[in-house]
Amino acid sequence: MRRKGWRLSARRVGLYAFLLISAAFFLLPLYVMLVTSFKDMSEVRLGDLLSLPAAPSVGAWVKAWTTACTGLTCNGIQVGFWNSMRILVPSVVVSIAVGSVTGYAMSLWRPRGATLLFGIVMSVAFVPYQVFLYPLVRLFSFAGLNSSLPGIITVHTIFGLPTMTLIFRNYFASVPIELFKAARVDGAGFWRIFTSVMLPMAVPIITVAVILQVTGIWNDFIFGLVFAGRENFPMTVQLNNIVNSTQGEREYNVDMAATMLTALVPLAVYFISGRWFVRGIAAGAVKG
Amino acid sequence: MLRHRSRLAAQVALLPAMLIALVVYCGSTGWTVWISLTSSRMLPNNNFVGLRQYEILFGNERWLVSASNLALFGVMFITISLALGFLLAILIDQRVRAEDLLRSVFLYPFSMSFIVTGLAWRFLLDPTLGIAKIAHDIGFTWFEFDWLVRQDRVIFTLLAAGVWHAAGLVMAIMLAGLRGVDQEIWKATRIEGIPAWRAYLFIVLPMLKGSFATATILMATSVVRLYDLSVAMTNGGPGIASEVPAKFVMDNLFERQNIGLATAAATSMLITVVAVVAPLLYWRSRAEKAAS
Amino acid sequence: MAGVRVSTLTKAYGPLTVLQDISIEVAEGEFTVLLGPSGCGKSTLLNAIAGLDEVDGGTIEIAGQDVTDLEPAQRGIAMVFQSYALYPTMTVRGNLSFGLKVKGSPRAEIESRVAWAADLLQITPLLDRKPGQMSGGQRQRVAIGRALVQKAKLFLFDEPLSNLDAKLRTEMRVEIKKLHKELGLTIVYVTHDQIEAMTLATRIAVMKGGRIEQYAAPDELYERPETLFVAGFVGAPAMNFLPGMYRGGAIEIDGVRIPAGALELRGPVADGTKVVLGVRPEHIGLVADGALGESVAAEAQFMEPMGADTLGWFTMGSHRVSVRLAPQRARGVTGNVDLALDLSLASLFNATTERRL
Repeated sequence: MRRKGWRLSARRVGLYAFLLISAAFFLLPLYVMLVTSFKDMSEVRLGDLLSLPAAPSVGAWVKAWTTACTGLTCNGIQVGFWNSMRILVPSVVVSIAVGSVTGYAMSLWRPRGATLLFGIVMSVAFVPYQVFLYPLVRLFSFAGLNSSLPGIITVHTIFGLPTMTLIFRNYFASVPIELFKAARVDGAGFWRIFTSVMLPMAVPIITVAVILQVTGIWNDFIFGLVFAGRENFPMTVQLNNIVNSTQGEREYNVDMAATMLTALVPLAVYFISGRWFVRGIAAGAVKG
Repeated sequence: MLRHRSRLAAQVALLPAMLIALVVYCGSTGWTVWISLTSSRMLPNNNFVGLRQYEILFGNERWLVSASNLALFGVMFITISLALGFLLAILIDQRVRAEDLLRSVFLYPFSMSFIVTGLAWRFLLDPTLGIAKIAHDIGFTWFEFDWLVRQDRVIFTLLAAGVWHAAGLVMAIMLAGLRGVDQEIWKATRIEGIPAWRAYLFIVLPMLKGSFATATILMATSVVRLYDLSVAMTNGGPGIASEVPAKFVMDNLFERQNIGLATAAATSMLITVVAVVAPLLYWRSRAEKAAS
Repeated sequence: MAGVRVSTLTKAYGPLTVLQDISIEVAEGEFTVLLGPSGCGKSTLLNAIAGLDEVDGGTIEIAGQDVTDLEPAQRGIAMVFQSYALYPTMTVRGNLSFGLKVKGSPRAEIESRVAWAADLLQITPLLDRKPGQMSGGQRQRVAIGRALVQKAKLFLFDEPLSNLDAKLRTEMRVEIKKLHKELGLTIVYVTHDQIEAMTLATRIAVMKGGRIEQYAAPDELYERPETLFVAGFVGAPAMNFLPGMYRGGAIEIDGVRIPAGALELRGPVADGTKVVLGVRPEHIGLVADGALGESVAAEAQFMEPMGADTLGWFTMGSHRVSVRLAPQRARGVTGNVDLALDLSLASLFNATTERRL
C-alpha cells in the first residue's frame, strides 16, 4: 500500500512539474514584456532579460503613450488607441445587430433561400481574406468608403457576419419553438418578437458575441491597414509602425510598453470575462 | 396578404446578409478569380491570358518559398499545438489544484493579437538581447541562438510564437471535450483495469474526434491567413526566408502593383483551403454523426 | 354556430403526408380532445387550426369566419403549450398582458383582464414573479391565465399537462374542466393520455396516420369503437381481441363456436367473413360466479393486482385474454375455469377492413 501511495505521489509531482514548466513557457513573454517596459534603456542593454527592473520607471510607458514616433508623426500610440476605440464601438454594435437579426430570421422564420445563404456565409469563415481584398478596395473607393471610419466598420461587419450569424442562429434555434409560437399567437410580428421576446432572452449570447467581437476587432491588423486609412489606423497598425520604423537605436522598453498597451484591452476582456471567453470560442468554433 | 407580412419582414431582415453574401462573398471571389486570368498589372483589365499568371506565379521564387513555408509551418504548427494542447488538457483534467488559474495562463495568449505576439517573441528571441544573451551570460558561450536571423531556421521562430498563441485554444477545446465524456466510461475502464494512458489513447481519443476536427479547422484557417505574425516578427526576412502567401498577395496588391499575380496567388490560396478544409469538415460531420 | 369547422384539410412534409383529408366540426362551447399516439398528426392539426403551420389544402373556419389564410393573432384564438412557453424575461403580469399590449388594448382594460384571470386561477400573489422562480404547477396556471386574458373565441391546448407529475396533473385536469364549464369556453385539446381525454372531453377525435378514426363522445367511443385501432387504443387495460371466422350466426375461434346472437350488429354478416371479436376485460367474468354470457373454457395463468381490482390472465385456446376481477375473488382462481363473455357489450370487427360490423 505504502509503495503504491509513493508511486502515485511521484506521478503527481511529475504532473505538477510539467504543468509548471508549461505555465512558465506561457507566462515568459508576458513577464519579459512587463519587466522590460519598466526598465530604462541602459538596463535593457545589459541584456538581463529576466531580472526585475532595478529602478522601476513608467517613463517608457509615458513615452509610448504620448511621444513615440510612427514614421513622421510623434504623438505616441494613444492616437492608435483612440482610433481603435472609434472603430471598435460602432463595429461591435453594427456587426452584432446584423448578425443577430440574420441569425434570428434564419433560425425561427426560415425564409426562402435561408439555407443556401447560411451555407455561403459559413463557408466564408474559412476563406483567406486576401481573396476579397482587391475587389473590396475597388468597391469601397467607388462608394467613397475607402480610408474612412464607415469603411472599416462596414468591413468588420462583413467579416464578422459568419461567426455572428452562426452563434445567434444556433442560440435562437435552441430556444423552445413553443415560445416563438406563443408570441405569434399573442399577435407579435417579426420585429416585435425579436425585440420583446428574443433579445431579452439572448443576453448570454450577446455577451459572448461582444467578447468575440471586441477581441477580434481590436486585434485586427490587416483590415485596419487596408481599409481604415492613415488617419484612422488602429492601434495594432500604429504599434507595428512604431516598432518597425524606429530610426537610430531601438528603444526596447518603449516598444514593450507600447506592445503591452495594445494588448491591454483584449487581456482585460479575457481576465474579466473568464469562462465566458472559452464559451465564446466554443460558440464561434464554426460548425458547418 | 396579411399572413405574409411577417414572412416579408423576415425576408427584408435578411437583405443585408444577402447583399454581403452576393456582392462581397460571391462577387469578390468571382472578380478575383477573373482578374487572375487576365494580364492585369496596376489596374484590372479584361485581357484574358488563361493560366499565364499561374505559370509566372509558380515560377516565382518568393511565392515558392512562401508556399513551402506555409506548408512546413502549417503541418508543424497544427501537430505541435494539437499534441501540446491535448496533453495540457489531459493533465488539467487530473483534478489538479488551481485549475482555473492554469487554464487562464495557458489560454491568455490567444486573446492577444498576432502583432503583439510577434513583437513579444521577436524581442524574446533577439540574438543580442534575448534568451541567447542569458545563455551566454550564465556560461553557455557556445550557445548561439540566432534563429531569428538565420534563413534556414527563422520559420521555427514563427512556429514557437504560433504554438504559444494557439496551444491554449486547443487545450480549452479538448478539455471541454474531455469533460463531456460520460463518467461511466471512466468507471468501466477502471473496473476492467485499463491503465489511464491506454484509456486516453484508445478509448477517449477516438471519442474526441469532433473536438480534434474543430481545433484543426480553427488552426488550419488561421494558418492560411497567417500574415500579421510574419509582418511583426520578421517582415518576411531575413531576405525572403519567412515570407508567407498572404503576405505575398498583400505586397503584390499594394506595393508591387501586380494585381494579376496577386489574385492568382489569392486564388491558389483559396483552392488550397478548399482542398484542406472540405475533407476536414466532412470528417467532422461524420465524427459527430457517429457520436450522436 | 360552429366553434371550429375544418374541411378536407391536407398537409404533407415532402413525401410524408401528415394530415389526410381531415374534416371535423367543433360546436360552440364544446370540449374536443384530439387523441392519438405520437406522430398521428394531432399536434399538426392543432397547429394548423392555430395558424402556426401552413396547410396544403382545405379550409379552416373559426366562429363562422374563414381563417385559413390569416395570421395566428387574427384568428381569435388563445393557446396553452406543453412547455408552457412563458416568456422567461417577463414577469407573470408581463406574460399575461403581452398579447393585449401587442394588440393595442387600452391600459385599464389590460389591467382589469389580468386581474380577473389572475384571480380566477389564484395566481394573484405571483404576478410580479418571473417564470424561473415558480413551480411547474404555477407555470401551468400562468400559461392558462395568459390564454384566458385574451378574448378568444377558441382555446387550444397542446398536451398542457404532460410535464406535470401525476398528482398535479389530476388537480389541473379538474381545474381545466371547471374553467370550461364556468366560462363556457370552446376548447380543442391535444393529448396522448386517454384518461385525460375521457375525463375532459365532450367529444374525442381519435387520430392515426393523419386521419380521424372516430369522432364521438367518450362513452360512445369506449362502448362502440368504430375501428379496431380505436378499440385497442382506448381503454386500459386494453380490450381483448379474438380473431376468428363468422359462420352461421356464431363466431368460430380456434374451433370453438361462440353463438353471436347477443352481439349488436349493424347489419347481416356474410358467412365466412374473417372477424375479430373485441371484449373488454370487465365484460368477461367467471361462470362460477354467475356471470352472464357465452361460456368458454379457459386456463388461469397469473393474476396482476392493480389495487381496486385485479387483472386475471387466462389462455383460451391459443389466445390470451385479460379479465377484470374483484381482488378477493381473484386470489382463489387457478387451473381450468369457465369464462363468460358478455357479447351484448362486445364489438365485432371485420378483420380485413378493421371496421366495426
